[in-house]
Amino acid sequence: MQRLAVMACVLFGCASPAWAAKVDVHLTDGHGHGVDDAVITLTPDGTVDRAANAPPPATHVVDQKDEVFIPYVQVMRPGDKVVFRNSDSTRHHVYSFSKVKAFEFVLSPGESSPAMTVVNTGIAAVGCNIHDHMITYLFVSDAPAIAMSTHGGMATLDHLAAGRYTMHIWHPQLHPGKSETTRAVIIASDVDVQHVAIDLSLIPDPRMFMDREHLDY
Amino acid sequence: MRFMGFRLRLALFFVATLVAVQLLTAGLVYEVTRRALVAEGERQLVTNAQAFTTQMDDISARIAGNVEVLSLDYALRSAIAGHDRGTVFSVLRNGGRRVGASRMRLVDLDGKVAVDTGNAKATAIPFPFTDLVASAFDHRTAAVVAQDGRASWMVVVPIYAPQPVGLVVVNVPLDNARLAHMQRLSTLPRDIELAAQWTPGTWSVVARGDGQSALVNGLNKSHRALPWTPLLTSVDSKEYMVLAQQLKQPERGTPVVAVLGYSLDAALRPYRSVAIAWATLLGLGLIVGLLGAWLTARSVSRPIETLAAAVRRVGAGDYRAPQTTQRNDEIGQLANAFGTMSEAVHQRELRIRHQAMHDAITDLPNRVAAEAAIDEMLGRQEITSGALLVVGLTRVPDIIKTMGHALCDRLMRDASERIRRVATDAYLARISDSQFLLWLMHARQPEATAVALRVLDVLNEPYQETDLSIDQLPSIGVATAPDDGSQAGTLLRHAEVAQFAASGSASALNFYDVSTDPHRPERLSLMGDLRDALDRDALELHYQPKLDLGHRRIDGAEALLRWNHPRRGWVPPDEFIGMAEDTGNIHRVSRWALSSALAQLRRWRALGLPLNIAVNLSTRDLEDTELPSRITGLLAVHHVPATALTVEVTERAVMGEPDAAIRILRRLAEQGIGIAIDDFGVGQSTFAYLRHLPVSELKIDQMFIKHLATDANDQIIVRSIVDLGHRLGYRVTAEGVEDEGALDYLASIGCDHAQGYFISRAITADAFTDFVTTHDNAIVETPP
Repeated sequence: MQRLAVMACVLFGCASPAWAAKVDVHLTDGHGHGVDDAVITLTPDGTVDRAANAPPPATHVVDQKDEVFIPYVQVMRPGDKVVFRNSDSTRHHVYSFSKVKAFEFVLSPGESSPAMTVVNTGIAAVGCNIHDHMITYLFVSDAPAIAMSTHGGMATLDHLAAGRYTMHIWHPQLHPGKSETTRAVIIASDVDVQHVAIDLSLIPDPRMFMDREHLDY
Repeated sequence: MRFMGFRLRLALFFVATLVAVQLLTAGLVYEVTRRALVAEGERQLVTNAQAFTTQMDDISARIAGNVEVLSLDYALRSAIAGHDRGTVFSVLRNGGRRVGASRMRLVDLDGKVAVDTGNAKATAIPFPFTDLVASAFDHRTAAVVAQDGRASWMVVVPIYAPQPVGLVVVNVPLDNARLAHMQRLSTLPRDIELAAQWTPGTWSVVARGDGQSALVNGLNKSHRALPWTPLLTSVDSKEYMVLAQQLKQPERGTPVVAVLGYSLDAALRPYRSVAIAWATLLGLGLIVGLLGAWLTARSVSRPIETLAAAVRRVGAGDYRAPQTTQRNDEIGQLANAFGTMSEAVHQRELRIRHQAMHDAITDLPNRVAAEAAIDEMLGRQEITSGALLVVGLTRVPDIIKTMGHALCDRLMRDASERIRRVATDAYLARISDSQFLLWLMHARQPEATAVALRVLDVLNEPYQETDLSIDQLPSIGVATAPDDGSQAGTLLRHAEVAQFAASGSASALNFYDVSTDPHRPERLSLMGDLRDALDRDALELHYQPKLDLGHRRIDGAEALLRWNHPRRGWVPPDEFIGMAEDTGNIHRVSRWALSSALAQLRRWRALGLPLNIAVNLSTRDLEDTELPSRITGLLAVHHVPATALTVEVTERAVMGEPDAAIRILRRLAEQGIGIAIDDFGVGQSTFAYLRHLPVSELKIDQMFIKHLATDANDQIIVRSIVDLGHRLGYRVTAEGVEDEGALDYLASIGCDHAQGYFISRAITADAFTDFVTTHDNAIVETPP
């Protein structure tokens, strides 16, 4: 529920009521399964007045429960704040070496980190130094249209104006070292509805479902 | 030896069967074992190959675990994230040492080498095995990489901080030590090699489990490809099962395989002691079997050999029964049959020998037996003398012809019993149909005489049957040992000669006398000497002058053969002529006489002496149809007229084969040759024959002439012959004139010729020439 709320906020925040064109994206993993937690951004080709569209800053909470970061991917706008909350009965050592924001918090059970403002765009991988299988990503982007796939790989980007766009698809389990998947999208009119189906090649989910110390690949 | 062979064959058959079965078993066991080992080897190789890869995976897991632990270090994570190469380098080196790696590398997500413990300075070099990097995030990635003649196990481990930030590449050397270590930890075979294909088609070894195996080199030598399924092959003349196992390797890496060998020899080694024990057992079994076979064979062949020896003994005449065997089997039956047979043969031989040595009628020993017995007795030292009596029943041949054999047999049986009665100690035998033999040991002439007379007495009693009385006319000849011979044969012959002589004499008993024996063996040698004499012209012709009573002169001669034997001196013609007739040599003698006489006649005729020569012909000559033509030839050769030759033949000679003789004499007479009948008056001839003969002259036998001067009867006979001869146209010659009275009487009755000692004995040709030329007149003048 929380995730949906955040999503709605982002979407509506970015929307312009005049445009009704939209892009439906269906992501699959090559085996026919839908891929959730992928972040799709649409960037219009050409210059964009980002400031004009900037919504008010928001504060996101990344919870830690049952040794899992929730959510897996947190989409943020530059200037948004993030709070790491420890809902477990163990201590967590939240850290990130990312260029977007390097930080570390040692959170006792029930403790929350101070709200941390993220200024730069980019992706910050956040882990727990105590529980290696815990990982979450802060996706900080100022792209005009941004959506995250849910419900079996479905994502919709709407309120789009006609024009040429570049679609970027990112997922935590994309193969490291591989270049980002992009797609050129042309929206003919303001009511155009595009359907894009994309196959993603993913590495296994590193989270709690597996114990990386006892990797069996 | 044949039975030896039989035994040997039997034993060899047993042993050969034993050996064959054993070897067959050994072969089977070996083959089965070997097949089992080959199958086991295949199974083991496949298992080992899997085990090898599993071990490699274990190594990967261990290394990955180590590297992950390494990567969990917050400092390292921050160093990597912060691109602190120095810290990362030292941490990797430490971690590398811990896992036994030879090289550690940190590869960035963009595929460039960020840190390399093998080369501290090198950075940003692309990591060559991109496929390994690509797959490392999906699954555990490890592969064999061969470089610079060495192989290593490359494990690629992703580093998370917390997202993937790079990869650590760990190189663990796959060297001999590593393989040896792996072998120690597991059931990997001793023979394991890692081979790399640096150049296509050639595999070379980069590591060996025990440092000595030569599987790949062996395969290379025999130009064999690496076997991907277990292959039975020979490496360095040892048998191996070989299997090559492909190892995980990067796409662009040098191919590396693990080659596993399973040594059959080594696998068979535990069986070797079993094989030795088995061979020992076989050897022992062989010896026992051989011994047993030999013993068994011997129990069969030994009695057969005994039998064979017994049969050989029987063959040699020894009829002692073969050792009776107590066996009840076939061999025992055979032995008993042999015994029965040899006994039967023995009995038969005794009978045959008895028959061979005895007379069937009288059951006395026969001549052969007697001779053997006497010789045997004479052979003894103590016997120095003895008398051999031959008792002959002269009338036996007549009796057989008259009364038949049956009666004669009874008579002989009776005679033998009579002799036996009076000569109880003597050895008695029947030596012919009509003769008995008595051998008196130690006897000399007086004892022999006594026995002989007793025998004669009993045999002179006529043989009596119911209505028959037969005189047997016994006669006895005696020869004594050692005077008349020292061997039975000689004694017997001499006794027979004596008996033959006795059979004609009144006393009916005669002792052998060598001087009167007409059958002396030297006669046989005389013939050869005669042939020699003919060849050497050693005979001579002497001539007895014939006086022509009418003219009182010598006008003829009778040629007489003389033989001066080199050892015996003069041999009388009677002796050698008769013998020459018997042996068929008379033709040569007559031919020689004719030829010599005619040659002499020619010489005398050359001297102006027109003599007529008479040559004696024998009975055999008158059977020779060539004779007339031969004489014609001789006459021609010597240029002598046929009328100068007279041939003299006896009446008996003509009467032998009268027709042939008459034909030959006629042919001679037709040529003009004179024919004289010699010894006229003493033969059995009659004038009936004379009528058919072309006779020209009669020669009155000297028997009638010898006493002619005084005997009136002879005078009448001679005068009658002369008269008769003259009337028949024959000339008449008187032989054997020894006194003047006879000569005068012959002259008075008109006899034509005379010859005899009174005129001259037979003299040599030269003497005859002298006699004719000088004394002719004297004789001629003598009568008034």
